[in-house]
Amino acid sequence: MSRRRPLRTALIGAFVALAVIAAGPFVLDTYTTNILIRAFFLAALAMTVDVLWGYTGILTFGQSAFFGIGAYACALTFTHYGFGPGWAIGALLAGMGTAMVVAALIGWLAFYHGASPLYASIITLALPIVFVQLIFAGGRFTGSSSGLSAFPTYYWAFETWFWIAGTYLVLVATVAWIFVKSDFGRLLVAIRENEDRCAYLGIPVSGVKITLMVAAGAIGAGAGFGYSAFTNVVAPELGGFLLGTELLIWTALGGRGTLLGPIFGAIGIDVTASYLTGALPFLWTLLVGIAFIVVIVFLPEGLAPIIGRRLRAAGQALNLVGAPHVSSYSVKAINPGSHASEDVEVPLRTEGLQRHYGSLKVLDGISLEARKAEILSIVGPNGAGKTTFMRCVSDGGERSGGKVFINGAEIGRFAPHRVAKLGVGRSFQNTNLFDTLTVGECLMLARFKTDGAQKFSRRESLDLPEPALAILRATELADAMTLETRNLSHGMKRGLELAMVLATEPSVLLLDEPTAGLTKAERTAIGDVLVKLANDHRLCIVLIEHDLDFVRDISSRIVVLHQGALLMQGTVEEVINSDLVKAVYAGEDAESVK
Amino acid sequence: MAILVLDMLTTSLILFVVAAGLMIILGVMKLINFAHGAFLTVGGYTAMLTTDAGVSPWLSGPLALIFGFFGGLLIERFIVRPLYDRPLDAILATWGLGIVIGQLITLGFGREVQFAASPLEGTLTLGAIDYSAYRLAVSGIALAIGAGLTALLYLTRFGLNARAVIMNETLARGLGIDSARVRAFTFGLGAGLACAAGALITPLLSVDPNMGLPWLVNSFMLVLVSGVSIPSLLLASLLLGSAQVLVSTFVSPILGGMTIVVLAAAILRINPRGLSFG
Repeated sequence: MSRRRPLRTALIGAFVALAVIAAGPFVLDTYTTNILIRAFFLAALAMTVDVLWGYTGILTFGQSAFFGIGAYACALTFTHYGFGPGWAIGALLAGMGTAMVVAALIGWLAFYHGASPLYASIITLALPIVFVQLIFAGGRFTGSSSGLSAFPTYYWAFETWFWIAGTYLVLVATVAWIFVKSDFGRLLVAIRENEDRCAYLGIPVSGVKITLMVAAGAIGAGAGFGYSAFTNVVAPELGGFLLGTELLIWTALGGRGTLLGPIFGAIGIDVTASYLTGALPFLWTLLVGIAFIVVIVFLPEGLAPIIGRRLRAAGQALNLVGAPHVSSYSVKAINPGSHASEDVEVPLRTEGLQRHYGSLKVLDGISLEARKAEILSIVGPNGAGKTTFMRCVSDGGERSGGKVFINGAEIGRFAPHRVAKLGVGRSFQNTNLFDTLTVGECLMLARFKTDGAQKFSRRESLDLPEPALAILRATELADAMTLETRNLSHGMKRGLELAMVLATEPSVLLLDEPTAGLTKAERTAIGDVLVKLANDHRLCIVLIEHDLDFVRDISSRIVVLHQGALLMQGTVEEVINSDLVKAVYAGEDAESVK
Repeated sequence: MAILVLDMLTTSLILFVVAAGLMIILGVMKLINFAHGAFLTVGGYTAMLTTDAGVSPWLSGPLALIFGFFGGLLIERFIVRPLYDRPLDAILATWGLGIVIGQLITLGFGREVQFAASPLEGTLTLGAIDYSAYRLAVSGIALAIGAGLTALLYLTRFGLNARAVIMNETLARGLGIDSARVRAFTFGLGAGLACAAGALITPLLSVDPNMGLPWLVNSFMLVLVSGVSIPSLLLASLLLGSAQVLVSTFVSPILGGMTIVVLAAAILRINPRGLSFG
């Protein structure tokens, strides 16, 4: 499995596509050439929708607005300011620049930690509506509702335009293809599948989405510019909500998350529409609408995967192609990074930590310290506020009052990925991983904070710190690197969860019931690893556990929470033998025992 | 001045009645019905057919309600039910449904703009001013529908079940509430309300196959800002509807068209819970 394989596939594909496009005008009649030029520009736009929606899970209605911005940049410049090579390049750059600024603004509005996925859709829905109204408000300058037409442009032959549009499409599609097949592409899928989990691994999810939006905006504006320069007509509909939804239809029919599916979907539907609207004006749209419903309800993957499977099966039968490419990472150990050994004796300290929901106090003034090389267990009955405590330590936006210091730094209102950068690693109570990612890919994501992700290629090997490797060996995950995580057993999932957190090289490790649902043997293995982490790697480990035997075996100290307050803390002996704790666990009122 | 205040009030109440069906569906089913605009259009054509057939225009609303209700039951069964655990896909599928309905209407009635008769012509004299009688009537009907919905939710067995499903569907099912039936009935009710609202607003406007679209976007924004509660939807409609009238009157009617959308996006950015109280 060579690292260059996706790159080679992409380049061969691009070469073939360019050859087809070069030959196109000599084979096709003028009418088809004409509509294909427009379809190519629209397909490039549909492709950006697929990267945003199909890969990253951002349901966007507003990609058409960027197309409109590019189109109007061309029309307005050529109509009002001037025409010539310099003006054309200037207008193209202005269009792309405006689109990028607007996209950054939209991204900043729509993507913040804790935003619901629906909110991004609302913002992207508002965008084309605002765009169209602004064009209306522009009066004679923008041509209002009738748009602008008959501005000077390059009246090149259809072949030339065909080659320009085709090359633009192939170019952006090739770059996008290499991009989505890279490590970074897997990161996008991870964001789609479990955005929260990404944030706690230290991945700046909002930043990634905004950057993606900006790039998609620029590509869309470029396509719009070409469309406008070729057709010589712009209308507000080019940036409107309806085109935005049509893009989603093409993407869904073609196959979301396949990149090529939406491109062929856009071209296929647009060209067929041009042929059929003469004969069957409204019937075609009706048929597309019905097909869209059927695909969404019954074939959410779209048509491309079905055709792709057929082609691959045929190819394999003829021995043309091998098995599908599964990226495998070889792992090797590295020495712990420098930041894990910062010289802070108390990596985690909280002062008067509070969390209220209205008048309900879930955490009430928790002040505690966790030192290096110790395992601090937090115990307490259900509803004591244990998980809330972890949440407040790992997400600056959670607490209602008090302070949290990580390695001496106050976390303020930091989003989880920034807290993670300070050195916090958190595992979750439920094993929510990235279903369609392999074990190796999950570990690669966990290394994003330190190693980044390659944007146009795939890594072949992963550098993992020794503790993460120890977990992989203990849970037999080392041999399962190419398995998708949804096929793992519960024990392996827990192991992977822990290995991912350790791969981020945290200095404070927050573990929420790491051994829930595990067998005795698995529990012992994980317990051994934790003790070793504390002793040999001097990690500060904070653990939530219900299994008091497990807690007794491995803890250095124990903190007891009860109804949001810190009931007592002390050594294992002190706490386990305390009447107070026995009373709390037996459900007696703590006050009466005191 | 008095006219401006009346414009603000009536516009807000019209927005309220148009958005009510969308809100009911969002509340109980947690999904956004993008066919809402098409349902409004269907209501508009029902009103047109009613008056063309010589039936009293006052009956177009109730007829549209009944038609929408049964249509909604069918749609729920075949399109919406498979998508309960894919809410974003449900938006798309209902949008597809909207396209299909729009095209069927186009095939049946053509693309041209048509008109429906108004049950109330002329103006009503209120003190010193004359004001469109039908706008006032629609506002009254909107308030009545709001009161009726509140009564339905708080005074009936269905309302109790629906509120249980809104709060905690799993628990409600555990208590023996047939949540599938509640959902089906809710979708029917939401669709019926949308059609009735379409029939109500039609005499103020005109009928064409795309008449529902701008209303869909505004309703969508209003419902997201208000959250699921009839009083807060009324509040959101009053605030944003009045803002729309003010911008249209004093700044420009074109910018008025995007006031609700922009304000809603801004409100939700500042407070993701919007205006909902409770």
